[in-house]
Amino acid sequence: MIDRSEIPLDTPIEPVPAKAERPALRIARDFVQSPAAVIGLIGFLVIATAAILAPWITPQNPYDLAQLDIMEGRLPPLAESFAGQTWWLGTDDQGRDMLSAIIYGLRISLAVGASSTLAALLIGAGLGLVAAYYGGKVETAIMRVVDLQLSFPAILVALILLAILGRGVDKVVIALIIVQWAYYARTIRGTALVERSKEYVEAARCLALGSRRILFHHLLPNCLPPLIVIATVQVANAIALEATLSFLGVGVPITEPSLGLLISNGYGYMLSGDYWISFFPGIALLITIVCINLMGDQLRDILNPRLQR
Amino acid sequence: MKRPIAWTTCAVAALVASTPPAASAEELTVAVSSEASAIDPHYHNLGPNNQVRRHIFESLVDTDASQRLEPGLAESWEATDDTTWKFNLRRDVKFHDGSDFDAQDVIWTLCRIPNVPDAVSPFTIYTKAVETAETPDPYTLIITTATPYPLVPTEFSTWGIVPAPDDAADLTFDKEGCAYAGEWPKTEDYNNGKLAIGTGPYKFEDYVKGDRLTLTRFDEYWGDKPAWETVVIRPITSDGPRVAALLAGDVDMIETPPVQDIPRLEQDPGFKVVSGLSNRVIYLHLDQHGEDTPGITGVDGNPLLDKKVRHAISAAIDRQAIVDRLMGGAAVPAAQLLPESMFGSDPDMKVQPYDPDLAKKLLEEAGYADGFGLTIGTPNDRYINDEKVAQAVAQMLTRIGIQTQIDASTASVFFKRRNNYEFSVYLAGWGAATGEMSSPLKALVATQDEAKGYGGTNRGRYSNPELDALLDQALETIDDAEREALLRKASRLVIEDYGIIPLHYEVTPWGLREGLDYEPRADQYTLAFRVTPSS
Repeated sequence: MIDRSEIPLDTPIEPVPAKAERPALRIARDFVQSPAAVIGLIGFLVIATAAILAPWITPQNPYDLAQLDIMEGRLPPLAESFAGQTWWLGTDDQGRDMLSAIIYGLRISLAVGASSTLAALLIGAGLGLVAAYYGGKVETAIMRVVDLQLSFPAILVALILLAILGRGVDKVVIALIIVQWAYYARTIRGTALVERSKEYVEAARCLALGSRRILFHHLLPNCLPPLIVIATVQVANAIALEATLSFLGVGVPITEPSLGLLISNGYGYMLSGDYWISFFPGIALLITIVCINLMGDQLRDILNPRLQR
Repeated sequence: MKRPIAWTTCAVAALVASTPPAASAEELTVAVSSEASAIDPHYHNLGPNNQVRRHIFESLVDTDASQRLEPGLAESWEATDDTTWKFNLRRDVKFHDGSDFDAQDVIWTLCRIPNVPDAVSPFTIYTKAVETAETPDPYTLIITTATPYPLVPTEFSTWGIVPAPDDAADLTFDKEGCAYAGEWPKTEDYNNGKLAIGTGPYKFEDYVKGDRLTLTRFDEYWGDKPAWETVVIRPITSDGPRVAALLAGDVDMIETPPVQDIPRLEQDPGFKVVSGLSNRVIYLHLDQHGEDTPGITGVDGNPLLDKKVRHAISAAIDRQAIVDRLMGGAAVPAAQLLPESMFGSDPDMKVQPYDPDLAKKLLEEAGYADGFGLTIGTPNDRYINDEKVAQAVAQMLTRIGIQTQIDASTASVFFKRRNNYEFSVYLAGWGAATGEMSSPLKALVATQDEAKGYGGTNRGRYSNPELDALLDQALETIDDAEREALLRKASRLVIEDYGIIPLHYEVTPWGLREGLDYEPRADQYTLAFRVTPSS
């Protein structure tokens, strides 16, 4: 125990040396050292921008049934419509422009991936921290639920949930939050357990700071790096899971297809030679996930203390 | 498997080699899309079961490829008065165990049908009209009904005859339950072959559930001898593997190749596809119950009560485009609830022409110039491309101003929700098991009446007393021509009132290796004994 009386209360805290960079800057500098990560970042930014600007840049609103014409269905890439418009990536069986449908699909995929990951992160991190900090029965209760849930494959849990909840983007998000929070809870608990026994936490406790303050101001910031790494990987996983669920026909409604549903719609035509209905959405999904993973890999390298260069 | 080939035909042989090797001419292997749940002919009234049944067990009345009645174990039948039917049974018919077929076997079968232990879906619905059954001599059967009932011969085509055991030689039919002292035969004794004895063209050989059913030709069969000594029926439920099995030459024939693979099979010289109209119509049912309807937004009340709105919906749908673009030709635009070649269907009815301008005008006249919001319910795994068809309909309705959305779910969920009246408009299909018009009319559009068995699937709750009266009359008319005229009139009445909106009749395809022929059947059955080597 430190004898507090020996430290004069008015001792100024040693100022941060001016030449030390802020952590965010350091991360940014390390990040750009990998060309692959930069490519991933650029690719992701392009995709995200396109997705956000979808209503203004796409030739057609693929969700407005009045704009679709079944007579334009299954046209190959570069075919021309009756109105003289070019279908760059062809059309699906309902006459939906694949390019527009893919950009709108990316919008759903990214929105679902980001929102479900963020919500799962908040819930998982909160519960994980609580478990690590309080220990005892609280920890046992939370962590056994985590164990139970992680023992089932995510896709199975999501399928069951959607069978109960029904179709819809909001329901997919709920299902994804429920299958994902456990990863964060487990990760943050592990980190927090290590951090909890460190001196700064002990110091904070000795200062009789409230648990909430210790949890969120002291423990949480120090547990963030692994969470960020997991979150990037999980965004990609969430997008892939959403695509899988839609492919299986339990995700988004058929009139508002996401990438997975587009792939599923075209899948039946693959053998008949109409490859483009599945192929292009598949490529878009692949590129999105690869870009996110490239960034995630680099972030992991930067934030992992053991790999610190 | 190698056929002797003369040297001079080597070039031809090289071409032939690209086609799968023909199995021996005496054996036919058929891949079906779903397996029968039992060999017992009276256990489960289900398509795959009835199809297997027809190979082993025969019925008094048979049906041809378009479900018209033809003689089976009864050579002829007639209604001697409004409530009495006389069946003249075929002589010199042998069962597979060598015993003779006579009227007592029919009595035994009628007695057994209500007494199948744990039957999933018994055939009692097709015997309940029988009030008394008597056998004045071994080859005559007299059936009476409580009220005039013209469907007796049709219903007698649905169940197979099994041989009466020795201790049932004096058994008489009693509507309240036959007084049989012995134990009623169990389903497993049919599945293991012990009791799988009929008069059909094929004998039971071996049955491995989930894998195969093997049948051998019955040489003492009374009718035309089938071409195949041995028939193997294999269930391959997934579409892809079933097509692959045909392409690889593992099987000679498959049921329902998926729509998108049909062009490929047709182009390959080693294979062919035959297809024919089925008895199944795909339709839209419209909620016409009251002002309160769940799936309509933007307006007060229920616009579907207005005939003009229903007419507009029908006129807005381009049926030919759906058939061409989505169904790959595996469907035919529908004018009514049963294809025109079948009994009671009006041959003069025309498919509603596609006319979006008329549709818009009708909506305007009805006071819905700005349209309204509508949600269409549909299953997504029950009918060919069901969800896609619903989506195309939504597209067409949106174009005339009815903002339409699709609520698609898996069949079990969909039908539960439909039965709870959760949809204002829904897409579904109806296969006429009896192959005549009273079946869809009774089930889909007659006013709901449990006692009469009317309107069981009328989940749009359409009600038209005029139609009910016509149907009542038809169902009591024994004379075929008169009954058909009444059914045609009823069919026209409901379609012209837009009480229900027919979309298309499904076409059932079969994939065959080159060298085989099969006449497509409206009842969608795959019958190996009707497969012939083509000349």
